[in-house]
Amino acid sequence: MKTRSTFVAVLLAFVLWGGPSLAAGATPFAFPAMDGWTLAGRLQVFSPDMLYEYIDGGADLYLKYDFEELQVIEYRKEKMSVSAEVYRHRDADHAFGIYSQERVPSADFLALGAQGYYENAVCNFIQGGYYVKLSSENTGSDDREILLAFARRISQELPAQTALPAILSAFPSDGKKPNSEKFIAKDFLGYAFFHSGFIADYDRSGQKYQLFVISGDSPDDARAMLGQYLKQIKQEMNLAEGTYELKDPYQGEMALFWKGKYIWGTMKVTDPGLRSAYLKQFEGILIP
Amino acid sequence: MEQKRVMGRRDFLKTTTTGLGGFAYLSANLTRPPDAPDKFEGTRVLGRTGIRMPIVSMGVMNTDNPQLVRAALDAGYVFLDTAQGYQRGTNESMLGEILKDRPRDSFFIATKASLPKDQTTGGYGPDATEEAYTKKIDTSLKSLGLDYIDIYHHHGTWTRGATLHGPILSALQKAKQAGKIRWIGVSTHRNEPEVVEAATDSKVYDVALAAYNFRQQHAAEVQKAIARAAGAGLGIVGMKSMGGNRGGAYASTQIDARACIKWVLQDPSVATVICGFTTFDQMTLDLAILKDLTLTASEREQLRKASLAAGLYCQGCGACVGQCRQVLPIPDLMRAHMYLYGYRNLVAAQDLVLSLALPNTVCGDCGACPVACTNRWNVSERVRDVIRLRDVPTSFFA
Repeated sequence: MKTRSTFVAVLLAFVLWGGPSLAAGATPFAFPAMDGWTLAGRLQVFSPDMLYEYIDGGADLYLKYDFEELQVIEYRKEKMSVSAEVYRHRDADHAFGIYSQERVPSADFLALGAQGYYENAVCNFIQGGYYVKLSSENTGSDDREILLAFARRISQELPAQTALPAILSAFPSDGKKPNSEKFIAKDFLGYAFFHSGFIADYDRSGQKYQLFVISGDSPDDARAMLGQYLKQIKQEMNLAEGTYELKDPYQGEMALFWKGKYIWGTMKVTDPGLRSAYLKQFEGILIP
Repeated sequence: MEQKRVMGRRDFLKTTTTGLGGFAYLSANLTRPPDAPDKFEGTRVLGRTGIRMPIVSMGVMNTDNPQLVRAALDAGYVFLDTAQGYQRGTNESMLGEILKDRPRDSFFIATKASLPKDQTTGGYGPDATEEAYTKKIDTSLKSLGLDYIDIYHHHGTWTRGATLHGPILSALQKAKQAGKIRWIGVSTHRNEPEVVEAATDSKVYDVALAAYNFRQQHAAEVQKAIARAAGAGLGIVGMKSMGGNRGGAYASTQIDARACIKWVLQDPSVATVICGFTTFDQMTLDLAILKDLTLTASEREQLRKASLAAGLYCQGCGACVGQCRQVLPIPDLMRAHMYLYGYRNLVAAQDLVLSLALPNTVCGDCGACPVACTNRWNVSERVRDVIRLRDVPTSFFA
């Protein structure tokens, strides 16, 4: 008991001193008041170990994206209701990652936060390390405007980080399916040694394939990842920066390029000329 | 990398008319001599469905990589588990793209959906109608691009009342009669014994998908409930075998996934375990369990050490509910305690405590606390500890 009292006192001292109870860089969030709307029920807060209580098995994926905290509240106005969920992740890349897992490329995209969309009584957006999910009931024909008003107001309470991850600009535009980019936080391409990466879908004259970028922590990290990959697919060779044309037993034709801390590549692109062109376009952006 | 095909998928899907006979088969295999692992076929019968399937199955929830799913099906996995809520439906549609090129009798698929519940009581409101749930089933069919779904789980219930919610049961029964689904299931991640008991009593459910792992303080109760359910003919599917994400940051002790999966499969009531692998290597390693279920000495030691560490957090078993003379929300207070001492998150702990509308005097005049926690915690001490956050101005944490 005494130990715990001391612990609380020390924690409070940290708070007063300015020490973080949130992750470094995270900004405390509080739901705003909305004119004419009242709060129904209590604020619910879920930490990583309790997220199962709210989204059941879906929690696993959020945990992969370094989920830190979820706050949930419901607003009501007569028969209308809006449920607001604010997920905080470790950083903007991870918030984009989980958002990218759930967005539908055909949705009605909006200039909201870094990106958002409206679809069938749902409005979701990301901003900084936050992923905001709004849903409505009984809002009738005004549904879109109501959800957008909530989204814009909540956006004002979040950190003013309104850009998508910069690395997305490295993806060549020729053939890229809009809003198909994803950030995979762990086990990229199904291999544990590729710790994370960005990937996008392409469709060119009916040929479907994917392009990707892995950003290592350093050139040595990228080299180590490439070495492990070549060992995994049993095509070990001397490592040097440059192009690798490979056959992945699970994923087919692979073309990789390693330079500095980056590995980028194409998957299932059968035209050698197109592979080469894509790899060069990546290089032009990633290695200026 | 050459993939070793353990057995043909269609072989697994041959039905038997002797569902309970399958358990006799399993029992015989589980007591096999340790020097004869190759004779273990790695299949069990899923209760009254009569479907014989591999004892390890793929939970697709953690991956968006279609190549991983294709590789799993090619390697010998048969049973795919998804949910309408996973990746807002994109998990189901990804599977639809993969499965459209495969014979319908070469795979077995379960998906699940729920309707909004009161997060405090776990009960459904008036909006949880038969029509609303039927729409969920139809949405899954469309996303998966299938004429029928093998198992449709009533997803994520934790109370008897919600499990037996009439409109949802009616929707499921009508979908079964219409041939949209073959079997009716229920899935539960907490308070599993109550849910499984309710499913058994319902005479409606064919399958129960339950969190079941060595970290659960109430694992014995789970075991008892699923034994009764299996005896009544329900097919039992295990999940959350690691008690958290796969060896991730929130698993209190790092442990080999195969040890956890094998631990669940030592229980002959469990027909198969959902494995949420995300790499090709994990896929191959998990599949190797089909060949031999024996826990190695190393795996037993890992389980022992991890079990010791498991008592740190509230398991959400619900056994304490109703025991407090002041009718305090003990699980919520234990959660607040965990935020405070487990995660060092004062904001979350205080928010939760303040939201509970507690009486001014808490644990004041009770004398001996009657609350018996399955973790053997001193609940009143923990309550007194955490409610002191009420006295701290919220501005301290802003």
